[in-house]
Amino acid sequence: MSVLALAILLLPAAGAIFLGVFNWRGSRLLTALVGPGVVWAAFVCVLVLLGANVTQDFTYWTWIQVGSFNVPFDILIDHLSLFMCLVITGVGGLIVTYAVGYMEHEDDASYARFFCYMDLFVLSMLILVLAGNTVFLIVGWAGVGLSSYLLIGFWYWRRSAVLAARKAFVMNVIGDVGMILGAFVLFVNFHQVTYLTLFPALPHSDGGAVELAAFLLLVGAIAKSAQLPLHTWLPDAMEGPTPVSALIHAATMVTAGVYLVARFHPLYDAATYAHAAVAIIGAVTALFAASIALVQTDIKRVLAYSTMSQIGYMFLAVGIGAYSAGLFHLLSHAFFKALLFMAAGNVIHALHDDQDMRHYGGLWNDMRRTSVTFLAGSLSLAGIIPFVGFFSKENVLGEAFSRGDGLGYGVWFIGFVTAVLTAFYTGRMWWLAFWRPASAERPVKEHLHEAPAVMFIPVALLAVLTTVGGLLQVKALGGWALVDQFLKPVLGEERINTVALEYLATFLTLLLSVLAFGAAYNFWIRGVWSPARWRTRYPRAATVLEHKYYFDELYDWAFVRPLDRLAGATERLGDRSLIDGAVTEVGAVTESGAGTLALTQTGYLRTYVLVFVAGAVIAGALLLWRAQG
Amino acid sequence: MRFLDASTIQVGGEQLDVSWFLLLAAALFVLGAIGVLIRRNPLVMLICVELMLNAVNLTLVAFSRQLNNREGQLFALMTMTVAAAEAVVGLAILVDIFRVRDLEDIDELSELKG
Repeated sequence: MSVLALAILLLPAAGAIFLGVFNWRGSRLLTALVGPGVVWAAFVCVLVLLGANVTQDFTYWTWIQVGSFNVPFDILIDHLSLFMCLVITGVGGLIVTYAVGYMEHEDDASYARFFCYMDLFVLSMLILVLAGNTVFLIVGWAGVGLSSYLLIGFWYWRRSAVLAARKAFVMNVIGDVGMILGAFVLFVNFHQVTYLTLFPALPHSDGGAVELAAFLLLVGAIAKSAQLPLHTWLPDAMEGPTPVSALIHAATMVTAGVYLVARFHPLYDAATYAHAAVAIIGAVTALFAASIALVQTDIKRVLAYSTMSQIGYMFLAVGIGAYSAGLFHLLSHAFFKALLFMAAGNVIHALHDDQDMRHYGGLWNDMRRTSVTFLAGSLSLAGIIPFVGFFSKENVLGEAFSRGDGLGYGVWFIGFVTAVLTAFYTGRMWWLAFWRPASAERPVKEHLHEAPAVMFIPVALLAVLTTVGGLLQVKALGGWALVDQFLKPVLGEERINTVALEYLATFLTLLLSVLAFGAAYNFWIRGVWSPARWRTRYPRAATVLEHKYYFDELYDWAFVRPLDRLAGATERLGDRSLIDGAVTEVGAVTESGAGTLALTQTGYLRTYVLVFVAGAVIAGALLLWRAQG
Repeated sequence: MRFLDASTIQVGGEQLDVSWFLLLAAALFVLGAIGVLIRRNPLVMLICVELMLNAVNLTLVAFSRQLNNREGQLFALMTMTVAAAEAVVGLAILVDIFRVRDLEDIDELSELKG
């Protein structure tokens, strides 16, 4: 069993090394088999471990040993890490398989490079969730940042892709610093890095250190999960290929922050303020991102903002202590958001890489299969029964509502407003891109090519999961809760009891969501309340939303430009004057000296002989003079 | 000069002052050196170098006889060997240069001017 647990990590690692080192410019078929193959093989390993019901901390060897600082190389297999592994390798496997078709236009070297990066990403993500100690966790955490940087900048000949990759990397490193400092605080106070020995010590400790550690880890979590105020990298990361958006920016990487809070739940349970901060950041981000999504016109950016918003819900859930509700929403979001991204990818593929929804339309008639799957994903995102998104979102909101204190009602209300906004912008996306008649600006007028099987089957499977996945946990309607039960050994009993009023709230949210989804029809199809009229009535609000609340401009003014100026000054004064100057000066002195000395090299033999003879005469004269003296 | 005091060498039954030999050697050496300096013909320059070497040989032999020490004569043999080797190398280089071009003046070989 310990070999099997290690194999979950070794398989994607072997795949990445094989594709990056040995199959570079090699066989395309081999790349297409190995790339997704290793992810599926890891999925099988996870299933076997799950079937054998193994929960153990496998320690392989001592990794670092310096005095009392002892880091084992250990893999923690429990229901939480297996749950995350299922999402990463299961949904990840579907996405990597989809990429076999999506990336077919790349040349051989890029094709292998893409799957090498994808496997590397899956490996990093698996390290992150399987790590049994904070040091190993940081390795995975940083590895995820690196591989997402590589994937966002995959088309490195595009300037915008490189800039987006750099932005994502810098934002992630800010989070990494928070993570590492948090791990330091924990080690300094508890002298432990292994979870299983660290966590029991937490509840009986001094509050200050725990709060500090929890806040520092939260910095890492919000950077990785694109929550306020470290969120600006996620929309720009849509520069990467669509399967990357599906894998990294929907299903796995951005949910790492949620996993982190759930994994450190003994810490957050002990840290009251940091815990409340998680919920508040989540709720505010959910509303914030949903409001921006209302005005975006790039289909992938709408999905990116909806991702931020949905992760806000997960943060909200883990922030109020409803950990398994947050993880259920993570699972359901992985299903429907990967579905939406990949279905949108099929459309983008068919329309020659045009991502502007205003140029779409008519897809319901021309791409029926993809449209049906996209509709399933949209209804799930909008939180409409019976799709999985309804059950998971209502589960989160229900837990918030029945918490019964100010924080609970506060975040519930924000979540409720966000749910209605979500239904509205999802409806807008659906009616605008798929339902209305084809736009005059559509790049391909007729005979749209539907996606090939390798791209459609993963989407269809996810559509099925999105439709029936809600049966896992129908708690929102008072039914069973399989996810809660599965995670109970790690996360403990759900402490929040449902109240009767909660069902009323659920009903209200559902009703308003359906209405909002339908109301979007009036805007963009019937033109009853045309967007242009709203725009003229509230021009200032529209501008603020279109500029995404000026966050990019603010960061540009506060950090990017001052640093740019500092770098420019350092370059002029330090690099050009001091270092370059010194080097140039040494060269100039040598050159002029050499020029002077070269005059003695006349090339005439007689000159040399003359100097030689003169030297001999002088030496002889000196000798004689000495002998005389 | 101290090392020339009261020193004679027996040559063919006659005592001859050693300074004569040294003066002859000095004259030959200067002739050789001037030859190397002012002549342009490479072959003549080589001959002048030989002249200088032989002048040195003469001093070595003279001192050897004066001090009654055979090492000086041995060293003269050594110098001849080196001179022969040097002549071989020098002539070989000259032959090679003549193959490439017709050389009359050593100053034509000034490609290594800095």
